[in-house]
Amino acid sequence: MGNTISITGLGIICAIGNDSGSVVDSLRSRRTGIGAMRYLQSRHVDLPVGEVKLSNDEMKEMLGIDTKLTISRTSLMGAIAIRQALESAGIESIEGKRVALISGTTVGGMDLSELQHAEMMHTNSYDYLLQGNECGRSTEEMAELLGLKGVECCTISTACSSALNSIILGSEMLKRNEVDIVIAGGSEALSRYHLNGFNTLMILDKAQCRPFDATRAGLNLGEGAAFVVLEKDKADGLAYVAGYANRCDAFHQTASSENGEGAYLAMSDALSMARIEPKDIAYINAHGTGTPNNDASESQAIIRIFGDSIPAVSSTKSFTGHTTSASGSIESVISILAMQHNFIPANLGWESSGENTIVPTMGCDDVVMDNVICNSFGFGGNDSSMVLSRYPVEHVVPEGEDYEFEVVADECVESVEELAALREYISPLESRRMGKLMKAAHLSTLRALKRAELNCPDAIVTATSRGMLDISMQFLEDISINQEELLKPTLFMQSTHNTISSAIAIRNKCYGYNTTYSQGEDSMLWAMRDAERLIATGKAATVLVIEFDESSPILAKAAEYLNVEPPKELYSRSIVLKRK
Amino acid sequence: MEELILELKEHIIDALNLEEITPEDIDNDAPLFGDGLGLDSIDALELIVILDRYYGIKLANPAEGKAIFKSITTIAEYVVANRTK
Repeated sequence: MGNTISITGLGIICAIGNDSGSVVDSLRSRRTGIGAMRYLQSRHVDLPVGEVKLSNDEMKEMLGIDTKLTISRTSLMGAIAIRQALESAGIESIEGKRVALISGTTVGGMDLSELQHAEMMHTNSYDYLLQGNECGRSTEEMAELLGLKGVECCTISTACSSALNSIILGSEMLKRNEVDIVIAGGSEALSRYHLNGFNTLMILDKAQCRPFDATRAGLNLGEGAAFVVLEKDKADGLAYVAGYANRCDAFHQTASSENGEGAYLAMSDALSMARIEPKDIAYINAHGTGTPNNDASESQAIIRIFGDSIPAVSSTKSFTGHTTSASGSIESVISILAMQHNFIPANLGWESSGENTIVPTMGCDDVVMDNVICNSFGFGGNDSSMVLSRYPVEHVVPEGEDYEFEVVADECVESVEELAALREYISPLESRRMGKLMKAAHLSTLRALKRAELNCPDAIVTATSRGMLDISMQFLEDISINQEELLKPTLFMQSTHNTISSAIAIRNKCYGYNTTYSQGEDSMLWAMRDAERLIATGKAATVLVIEFDESSPILAKAAEYLNVEPPKELYSRSIVLKRK
Repeated sequence: MEELILELKEHIIDALNLEEITPEDIDNDAPLFGDGLGLDSIDALELIVILDRYYGIKLANPAEGKAIFKSITTIAEYVVANRTK
C-alpha cells in the first residue's frame, strides 16, 4: 500500500445515542432523537430539538471531571466522542507520535457566553464571555480534558460543513506526512444564540422535520459530536477516506443556488478524487436539512450527477436534528456505521414527493455497500462532500518537487477611518449590512486582488481568532434585551466565522476551495500552512489569505477591567499567494 | 395613509441601514426587490420583523411576504388592513 487513509477509530454522541452501538440501534429501529426541549433554556419551547440526552453534570461524571468546573457543553461532548474514537482505534498512548486534533465548530462555548452575557451587567465577570467566539479554545479544552499532551490543536469554522472540512484537512496532512495520527471531527452544543439565529431566518419547523418531503417546512436543530481517527496505510480500517472536495456555491450568505452548483462541484470532484463513477455509489447521506431551499438545491445537484440512476439517499437529520458544525462528522460516522453493519438509514418523516426533489429511501437492511457519499453544506455556500469506502483506496499523490509560491500582494486595514475608501469598490447600498470588520476585510481584499491583477483566486483561506465579534455581541444583546423575540436576521446572518471568506467568494464568483481557521493566535499559521499546501500540491495556483479580527465595546470594557492591553479595534490583512 | 407611508419608509431605512437614502428617494410604487431598490431575502426577513414589532402583524411563512413587499404602497395597504396595534 502506498497512500491510503484508514479510518481506524470512531466516536459519536448525539440525540439518538451516546455511543456508536446505541446510534446503530436507533437508526435500525427508526427511532428519532428529536423531541421537546429538555436541557436548553429558551423561551422557544415550541421548537423541537435533537438534544443529547445527558445533562452537563452527567457528561462530566462520564469523563471523571469535577462537576463544579465550568466547561462548555461543546467541549464535554467533544471529549466524550474523542475518547471513544481513541478507544475504538486501540490507541492507548500517543507519546512519541505526531498527533493533530482537528475539530469543527462555530458556536464553540456559546452556551457559557450567553449565560455570562445575561449575568454580566451584575457581576462584571468576563471569564467565559468570549468562549463562544474563540472557537479554538473548545478544541484545546477537549485535549486538556483528555490529557492529550503534545497534540497540535486546529479548529475549522466553516459553519455547517466545519466537521467534514476537519476530516478533509486531516487527510491532506496525512498524505503529506505532516503527522502520524489525526483525530478529526467536530462538536456543537445547542445554544440560545443559534436557535434564535436560525429562528430569525424563519427556517425552523415547529413540527418534526421532513427532509425532501413536499410539505417540508424547515429544520430542527440538534447537537452532538463525532470524531474519527485517521492513520495512513493502516490495514483493517473500519472504512477508508477515498475522495473529497471543498467547494463554494458562491451564491448567497444564507441560501443555496437553484441548480446546486456548489454541491454539484463538491460531489463530482470528490468522485474524481476517488476515481470512481457515480454508479459505484450505493448511498448518499444527504445534507438534507428539511428547508425548502436546501433540499431542492441539493436534489438538483444530485440529479445533475446521477441522472436517472440515483442511489439510495437519506437525510439522517430526521434522527439527529441538524447538528450544524458537527453534522459533517456525525453523518460521516453514521455512513461508516451503515457500511459496517450493512444497512441504509431511513429518511424519517417523508411522505410525498415534492416538485424537483429526489425521492429518499425509507431505509433497508442486508445491503452491502462499498462506497458512500456524505454531504455537508454550510452558510455562505461552504459545500463539502466526501466519498467513504469499505476497501482501501489509493490516493494519487503528485510526483516530483512541490510547487513554490511568491506573495504578489499584501494589504492591511487597521482603522475605522480608512473604511471610507471602501466606496471606491462597493456602493453604500451593497455594503448596507456590513459590520466594520466585513468592511475592513472587503477593503483589504479588493485592494490586494487589484494589486495582484486577479479577480477570482483558486482558493480562499481565512484566519480569525474571534470572528465577527462585534456583530455576535450585538446579537447576544438583542437576545437579552428583546427576550428572544423580534431579533435581527441581519446580525445573525453575518455572525459566523466564515462570513468573510464566503462573502468574497459570493462577490467575485469563486467556486473553489474555501475555508476558515479559528485557533487563537495560531489561526494565521494554520491558514498559511493550508495555502502553502494547496500550492505545493498543485491544487491551487492562486490563494487569497485573509487574517481578520476586531474588538467590541464589551471586549474593550473587559480589557480595562482585567487591566490588560485592549485588543486592536480593527485589523484585516489580505495576502495573495501565487505559484512560482 | 401618507403619514403611515412616511413612518414605514423611516422604519425600513433604519432597519435595513440604507445609508444615504431618504424617505423622498423611495418611490411609493417602485419595486423594492430586484430591479428597484435592490433588496433581497434577508431584507424581507427584516421587513417581517418591522410588521410584527410596530403593527402587531405576524407572518408565519416568509413566502407570504412576496406579494406584500412589492412596494411601499402594497405594504401600507396590508398594514392598514391587518394591523393589530
